[in-house]
Amino acid sequence: MAGLELLSDQGYRVDGRRAGELRKIQARMGVFAQADGSAYIEQGNTKALAVVYGPHEIRGSRARALPDRALVNCQYSSATFSTGERKRRPHGDRKSCEMGLQLRQTFEAAILTQLHPRSQIDIYVQVLQADGGTYAACVNAATLAVLDAGIPMRDFVCACSAGFVDSTALADLSHVEEAAGGPQLALALLPASGQLALLEMDARLHEDHLEQVLEAAARAARDVHTLLDRVVRQHVREASILLGD
Amino acid sequence: MLQKREKVLLLRTFQGRTLRIVREHYLRPSVPCNSPLCPQPATCRNDGKLLSSDVTHYMIPDWKVVQDYLEILEFPELKGIIFMQTACQTVQHQRGRRQYNKLRNLLRDARHDCILFANEFQQFCYLPRERGESMEKWQTRSIYNAAVWYYHHCQDRMPIVMVTEDEEAIQQYGSETEGVFVISFKVPASGVSVSVSVCVHFFSGAHNALDPEEGSLNHLARLPPTLFFCVHTRHGFNLFSFLSLLIYFERESTSQGGPERDSKRENPEQAPCCQHRARYRARTHELRDRDLSQNRERPYAHRAVLRASLVLALLDFFSLSFVQDFRVVVRIDSWESTSVYPNGHFVRVLGRIGDLEGEIATILVENSISVVPFSEAQMCEMPVNTPGNPWKVSPEEEQERQDLRETHLVFSIDPKGCEDVDDALSVRTLDNGHLELGVHIADVTHFVAPNSYIDIEARTRATTYYLADRRYDMLPSTLSADLCSLLGGVDRYAVSVMWELDKTSYEIKKVWYGRTIIRSAYKLFYEAAQELLDGNFNIVDDIPEFRDLDEKTRQARLEELAWAIGKLTDIARHVRAKRDGCGALELEGVEVRVQLDEKKNIHDLIPKQPLEVHETVAECMILANHWVAKKIWESFPHQALLRQHPPPHQEFFSELRECAKAKGFFIDTRSNKTLADSLDNANDPNDPIVNRLLRSMATQAMSNALYFSTGSCAEEEFHHYGLALDKYTHFTSPIRRYSDIIVHRLLMAAISKDKKMEMKDNLFSNKDLEELCRHINNRNRAAQHSQKQSTELFQCMYFKDKDPENEERCVSDGVIYSIRTNGVLLFIPRFGIKGAAYLKNKDGLVISCTPDGRSEWKPGSLQRFQNKITSTTTGGESVTFHLFDHVTVRISVQASRCHSDTIRLEIISNKPYMSPDTELFHQSSLLLKSDLVKEVTRSVEEAQLAQEVKVNVIQEDYQKYCQTKGRSLYMLLEEIRDLALLDVSNSYGM
Repeated sequence: MAGLELLSDQGYRVDGRRAGELRKIQARMGVFAQADGSAYIEQGNTKALAVVYGPHEIRGSRARALPDRALVNCQYSSATFSTGERKRRPHGDRKSCEMGLQLRQTFEAAILTQLHPRSQIDIYVQVLQADGGTYAACVNAATLAVLDAGIPMRDFVCACSAGFVDSTALADLSHVEEAAGGPQLALALLPASGQLALLEMDARLHEDHLEQVLEAAARAARDVHTLLDRVVRQHVREASILLGD
Repeated sequence: MLQKREKVLLLRTFQGRTLRIVREHYLRPSVPCNSPLCPQPATCRNDGKLLSSDVTHYMIPDWKVVQDYLEILEFPELKGIIFMQTACQTVQHQRGRRQYNKLRNLLRDARHDCILFANEFQQFCYLPRERGESMEKWQTRSIYNAAVWYYHHCQDRMPIVMVTEDEEAIQQYGSETEGVFVISFKVPASGVSVSVSVCVHFFSGAHNALDPEEGSLNHLARLPPTLFFCVHTRHGFNLFSFLSLLIYFERESTSQGGPERDSKRENPEQAPCCQHRARYRARTHELRDRDLSQNRERPYAHRAVLRASLVLALLDFFSLSFVQDFRVVVRIDSWESTSVYPNGHFVRVLGRIGDLEGEIATILVENSISVVPFSEAQMCEMPVNTPGNPWKVSPEEEQERQDLRETHLVFSIDPKGCEDVDDALSVRTLDNGHLELGVHIADVTHFVAPNSYIDIEARTRATTYYLADRRYDMLPSTLSADLCSLLGGVDRYAVSVMWELDKTSYEIKKVWYGRTIIRSAYKLFYEAAQELLDGNFNIVDDIPEFRDLDEKTRQARLEELAWAIGKLTDIARHVRAKRDGCGALELEGVEVRVQLDEKKNIHDLIPKQPLEVHETVAECMILANHWVAKKIWESFPHQALLRQHPPPHQEFFSELRECAKAKGFFIDTRSNKTLADSLDNANDPNDPIVNRLLRSMATQAMSNALYFSTGSCAEEEFHHYGLALDKYTHFTSPIRRYSDIIVHRLLMAAISKDKKMEMKDNLFSNKDLEELCRHINNRNRAAQHSQKQSTELFQCMYFKDKDPENEERCVSDGVIYSIRTNGVLLFIPRFGIKGAAYLKNKDGLVISCTPDGRSEWKPGSLQRFQNKITSTTTGGESVTFHLFDHVTVRISVQASRCHSDTIRLEIISNKPYMSPDTELFHQSSLLLKSDLVKEVTRSVEEAQLAQEVKVNVIQEDYQKYCQTKGRSLYMLLEEIRDLALLDVSNSYGM
């Protein structure tokens, strides 16, 4: 059997998308009543759930409190049933810790933390099904949850991944494409200003191609933004109807 | 808007657990249908190649048909083929990369009228696989469903024929939709329960020839062989005698046999075995009457006796006479684990065994060279140049190009009678006192647009193929011999490289690249140019350009020309000296002389004493290539096409060193410079052949020069060992090499990049270029092989009719150039043949020599030493053969029906061959080659006339072919350099 053809001569990817097309995105805000903010997102078959508590007083050691801004605490976990092979530990392993740190960096850049000095914002993200682009799904879910919690942000944070196959940049990689081993870049964007909240890639990619891949990821992130924006507006509209406004 | 579906796959992990994988699958309302009948071409976004509009129906092959009969679908006669994505994916998954790439190339090739329809991504064509449905059934169902959709999409205007091997599918779908026909790939023969699968030109109605009422072999036999296929049948077929046709395959690299293997051949363990199937390539088959015997299981079937070493294909045939005595192409379909032989089907007849045309066709097939005449579509792209409607320089081009017609004295120097002149030279003094040297190359890329039909064809051919008696051009003759040929006195487009040189030191100050218009003033030939260079103006009468001038202007022009040639030579000497100073060696000089013996076909073309003007032209071309290489590399560091010649491995030189030591010479192989020097010194005054053989060995030790893409190599590896240049490419022969066309395009792109203009052409990316380089290298190798094989063929045909016992010409002088355990390798200078002679024959007898030198076979033993081999008979007589000994050999032909014939050498005396014309050896050897080709061609013609066999042979005059073979020395050198890289050492099976 020949290896999988990630991009056919006709320009189709394995799942039938073209190079720049995103997977189907569905999202909902306010899925939990007891949390300050919560959201659920499906990006293709990648499903993630985010809850936000805060801003509240620092829990635990007071020493951690920052005098000038809020502490953003992120925790990432992925369900044991989220991948093809069952996982042992849902959280606390190396990968989860790393992901938590990345999320924290992303949201420290986006949330206006200086408005809540000496307080804490908790963001918990759980991946229910991992089918590629978990980081992007987590960021997008967390953005919605933060918005749901009403925490002031500079802008949406929209994330998307991009890969590079046959001199073409592919947006929003699925698990099959990730597993093929090519370079993968994750990007979190503040769409209004075009600033990058986070950019991460740990594979080798020729410098000449970087721009192309970045461009593809940024465009995809902007597309994600339009979708998330629609979700938020829909949610607000529903909420206002419920409140009888 | 995309629709999301999910596909659930159940996979088994290595541990044996079942893994449930859910994959997304996105459907879209429109995928490109690539049909000219499409009602909404805008929504379909048909941007690729379209199906042609003049077909009567579209054909959709079922997945199984695509898998097994791709060769048939490749025939250009079959038009309007739609490959469904489902079918292509099956090929990819089940047949592997090789087959899939073949299919991809077919789809990419603009010349083939076939497209891919991505049915699985089309909302209405996609059918999910149902629970419990087998994969095969689902694939057929999908393809049929897509066919129906396609039919309706084209508004029911084009009937669609789906061909399948699945009987059930025919029954189920055959009459389901009007306009979509499902027919069998097999056409049932009259009344027999068994189907002979005959695939005829599907839609020309030819399969009606197999109508049950009149079904007979005669009908089939009348069909053109290419359109007539039979596919294996499992069980009886008793209408006609059918037979298992035995095919053998030969491993590409070695030609060792098995049990019936010649005892001469060593390494029986290398005999091919079935496991290496993938590495076999179809060669030729044999079918022998006397070998046909009754098969017990199938009394009606003939079965040819097999050679155990050969991999055989079981083919069922109903006309024995149809393929007997012919060389045919066969495709292997499958190999059952219970069978010794693979199953295959017959694709095409090449020609009769032993027939010149048939054998040439075989050589072409073996090297996978396809040289169909240029098609109409390709010729339509050619500019017109007829006497009634002559081609003219267009005003727009005049604007864009630099006009050198008035300002520069441009002339070309080529061999006498050369037609395709692709380079011209100029030199002049500038106003500031500097010199300006110009090399002007025919602007082929102006006429060959990227991705035009002619471009695709040229890319596929990659080079012009020169066989011993004919050539197959890369470009049509309208271009190669006319519009792109820089003939004298006519306006031509050119791509020029011009250097500004210092007046005295000849240092390069400036270089200019660009498109120009030139008018070559003189089309000189080498001898004339040399005479002018020597100041001998008597030659003038031979130059047509001077004929009609009055004395005064003639004298003036003559002096101008002579000055230019003289200046050129000066510059060339200087450039050469500089290259030598950098540690370069005169490798081409070496190789020429070496390769004279090696490549007989060029043998007779080399003037005995190369004129200085040859070197001048060659040096200018090398300079141009070098500077162009630098330029394109600087502009496109990751996607320039260059040529590298890696330094050879020292261990490969050990044989050379040993051989030289035997003669008392020392060869220093540490660098190219020392190698050249020591080779020059290793000259035996009594025997000039020694030096030639040593040089030949040196050449063989070297590695191949190759094209490569700069993006895929480190910069240190760009070096060209032979020419001692850091960067080198091929730029100067775009008429006969595709690599040069690419380089021209790169250069043009580099120029427009410098001018900050928008780049017109899409350049190849590094990856594509790398692939293309591989292809061109491959084709070059094929060209060399085919050239060598055709030469061997001619040699064999030459000696075939001669009686080796009586004919004087079959006895010749030979030189031993290598020792083996059971024989020696001989070189025969007179014919340029290299081959093995055995000192021990099949019966185990060894050679011994009577006092007067004649040899006989006696029982005894052989003893091999480093530089000699001794044969001792039981009677105590012994004879020793040293390296470089001269012996007398008899040349005969070993006929073989399966392989091509081979030359056989037999030592008949250990004394040098003495004949009245010994003195004239070189003379005769130079003449002989062309005579040989001529004689064989003539005898073939005569035989054909005598038999009045109507074979469609292109009997073109050898002289005509000859014309362009006499190219400039530079090209000759280039070619020889290519050839030198050909590994010929193991071609004689010793």
